[in-house]
Amino acid sequence: MYIEVKDVCKQYAGHVAVDHVSLSVPDGSIYGLLGPNGAGKTSLIRIINRITHADSGEVLMHGQPMTDDDVRRIGYMPEERGLYKKMKVGDQILYLARLRGMKARDAEAAMDEWLERFELTEWKNKKLEQLSKGMAQKVQFISTVIHRPPLLIFDEPFSGFDPVNADILKREILRLRDEGAAILFSTHNMSSVEEICEQITLINHAKVVLQGEVNQIRQQFKKNILEVTTADGQSFNYSLQEGETMHDAIARLNEEYQLTGFREILPSMHEVFVESVKSSNYE
Amino acid sequence: MNKLFLIIQREYVQMVCKKSFIITTILVPILSIVLCGVLPVMLSGVKSEEKKNVAIVDQNPEAPFAALMTEDDEFRYINISALPTDSTLLDAHALYESARENQDIYALVVIPDRFVDNPNYNIYSEKSVNANLERNINACLQDAVRAKRIESYGIDSLESVIKHCSPRIKSTNIKWSESGEENLSSADLSMILGFALAMLTDMFVIIYGALIMNSVVEEKTNRIVEVIVSTCKPIQLMLGKIVGVALVGLTQLILWGILLGIVGMIFGISTMATVGQDMSQAATDPAVTQAVQEIQQSSEFSKIVQMVLSVNYTQIFICFLLYFIGGYLLYASLFAAFGSAVDQASDASQFTAPIMMIMIFALYAGMFCMSNPDGPLAFWCSMIPFTSPVVMMIRLPYDLPWYELAGSLALLFLTAFGILWLSARIYRTGILMYGRKFTFKEIVRWVRNK
Repeated sequence: MYIEVKDVCKQYAGHVAVDHVSLSVPDGSIYGLLGPNGAGKTSLIRIINRITHADSGEVLMHGQPMTDDDVRRIGYMPEERGLYKKMKVGDQILYLARLRGMKARDAEAAMDEWLERFELTEWKNKKLEQLSKGMAQKVQFISTVIHRPPLLIFDEPFSGFDPVNADILKREILRLRDEGAAILFSTHNMSSVEEICEQITLINHAKVVLQGEVNQIRQQFKKNILEVTTADGQSFNYSLQEGETMHDAIARLNEEYQLTGFREILPSMHEVFVESVKSSNYE
Repeated sequence: MNKLFLIIQREYVQMVCKKSFIITTILVPILSIVLCGVLPVMLSGVKSEEKKNVAIVDQNPEAPFAALMTEDDEFRYINISALPTDSTLLDAHALYESARENQDIYALVVIPDRFVDNPNYNIYSEKSVNANLERNINACLQDAVRAKRIESYGIDSLESVIKHCSPRIKSTNIKWSESGEENLSSADLSMILGFALAMLTDMFVIIYGALIMNSVVEEKTNRIVEVIVSTCKPIQLMLGKIVGVALVGLTQLILWGILLGIVGMIFGISTMATVGQDMSQAATDPAVTQAVQEIQQSSEFSKIVQMVLSVNYTQIFICFLLYFIGGYLLYASLFAAFGSAVDQASDASQFTAPIMMIMIFALYAGMFCMSNPDGPLAFWCSMIPFTSPVVMMIRLPYDLPWYELAGSLALLFLTAFGILWLSARIYRTGILMYGRKFTFKEIVRWVRNK
C-alpha cells in the first residue's frame, strides 16, 4: 500500500467535511475518488497533501505516518488549475520542480523530455497567458509529474481537454501507473472511471458510501438483466424472474426463440453513482 | 530554507523583469527632475515674456512717487501724471480710457496728494488684479514714504541711526558632546533630514505593501497557491514574498540613487564648466579673488561645514535601517494577511483603508513633532509601533536618550513579529478560502483555528 488514509475526520466551523473516511491506494494502481460536488473530496485530498490537517485519524505512507518532507513525494494537480500567467512556461515548470526538491539540471532535462512528449517544446519561452487553455492544462500536468512522485493526485484531470488531448493524457497516466506510481484521482467523469480505475471510493455527505474494485461493484449493482439477440435479428432485454438462475433463463428463452447471442448487462458506473448517492441521501 | 530562497528569487526576478518596474524606475527620476527642476524654470520663463502696462497717476506735486516705480519682470509702469486732469475731481475711468488709446493698459494706479501723510492709494482695473502687482507697488511706495518721512525730520544721518536701532537677531546652536566639546548644530538640517527619512519610510511601506497584497491576491485568484502550498509551508510563501518585494524595493531605491547621482553629476559638471569659465574671466579682477578668499575664510562658511558634519550620520543610518525593516515587516505582513482574505484586489479596501489612515496620521504626527521633538505627542507616537518607524525618523537627529530608542525598537520588533505570526495564521487559512468577502470577525476566528 503506498498511501493509507485511516479513519480521517475534519470539521470546518460547524460542518463536517470528512467523516471517518478510510482508503488505501496500492503502488502501480489507479484509484478513483468519486462523489457529488461538496461531498468532501477536495477536503480529503487537501489533508493527504498536508495543506490542511485532519482533526482525527491519520495518513500513512508505506505504513509510516506522513511527515512534511513526504509531501515532495506527491504530485498534486488541483481542480482549479493555476499557474503564474506572466511567467514563461519553462521558468514555471522549473520553479515548481525545484520547489519539490529537484536539482536545477535534473529538472531541466526532465522538462525538455516532457515538453517534447506533449509537443510543447516551441512554447517553452512563451508566457503562459499566450497559451490556449488545453496547452496550459498540459503545462499544469507536466509540472505535477515532473519530479516523478510515487503518489499522484489528480483532481478532475480530464476537465477542459478535448477528446484527442484527453486520450494523450490518459495514455500518460496509464504509463505513469505502469512505471509504478500510485494514482488517486477524483472525477465526475464516470466513463473514465470504468476505463482506467481499478478501485474506487464513493463519498457522499463526508461519508464513504461505497468502496471496492470497480468490477465487483458493478457486479454488486447488477439488476440481473440479459440482452438477448434472436435469429430473426431482434434483440431485447430480459429481467430474470425471482429465483431463476441465468442458466435456466437462457435454456427457457432458447426454447421460445432461437437465440444467436446473449449478454449480461452490468450497470455503468454512472448508474452506480447515481443510485448510491440517491439512496445515501435518503438515509 | 532552500525553498524560501527559491520563492524569494522568483518574486524578485518576476517583479524586476516586469515592464512596469523598468518603466517606473526610469520614469520617476525623470519626472521628478522635470517637475522640480525644469518645469518651474520653464514656467517662470513664460511669465517674463509679456510685460503688462500699468498706468500711474501721481497727484502729488511734481509726481515724485511715479518716478520711483521701477520696472520689473512682470510690469512696466507708465507715468501719465502729466495728462491734463481736473485736479480736484478725478475721473479715473476717463483717465484709464484715454491712456488705453495709445497702448494696452492692465491697471491704473492712483496715488493721491499728501500721500506721505496718508499712504492709501487705489488700483483700478477691469479684471481682478494679480497679487504681484500690489506687492511690487507696496514695496516701492513703502521705501519711498519711509525715506520722505525720515527726510522730513531734518536730522543728519537719521537713516543710519534707525538702521542701527533695528538689529537683526541671529542664533548659533551649540551642542555639547559627551566629552564637553562644543559642536555647532543646525535645527533646519536635522529637520530636513528627518522629514526626508520619514517620507521615505511612509512611501515605501504604502507602495510596496500594496505590491505585496496584489501579489498575494494574484496567486489566490490564479489558484496557483494550492499547488505551491502543497510543496511548502504557507509561512514560507508569505515570508518569501515579503522579503522578495523588499529586495525589489531596495533595488529600485538604489537604481534611483544611481540615476539621480548620474544626472546630478552631469548637471554639476556642466555648471562647473560654465562657472569655471566665468571664474577664469573674473580671476584677472583682483577684487573678485579677494572676495572668494574672504568667503572661504569667513566663519559663516566654516560654520556650515561644521553643521553638516555635526549630524551623527552613522547613528541615524543604523537606526533608520532598523526602523525601516521593523516598520516594513509590520505593515507588509498585515498587507499579506489582508490580501489572503479577499478574492480581488478591489475588495481589499475595507482592510487597507485603516492602514492608510494610520500611515497618513503617522506622517502628520511626524510633522507636528518637528516643532516639538520632545513633547508628549512625539514621545508616544515614537513608542507606538504603528507610528514609530515614521515619527522616530523625525526625532532621530535630535539625540534621544538611548533607553527611549531601545524601548521603542524593542516594542516595534516585538509587535512586528507578533503581527507576522498573526498574519501567517490568517494567511494560511485565507489563501484557501474562496467565493465571498470575509469580515474581521471571521478572520479573527481563522487566527484561533488550530
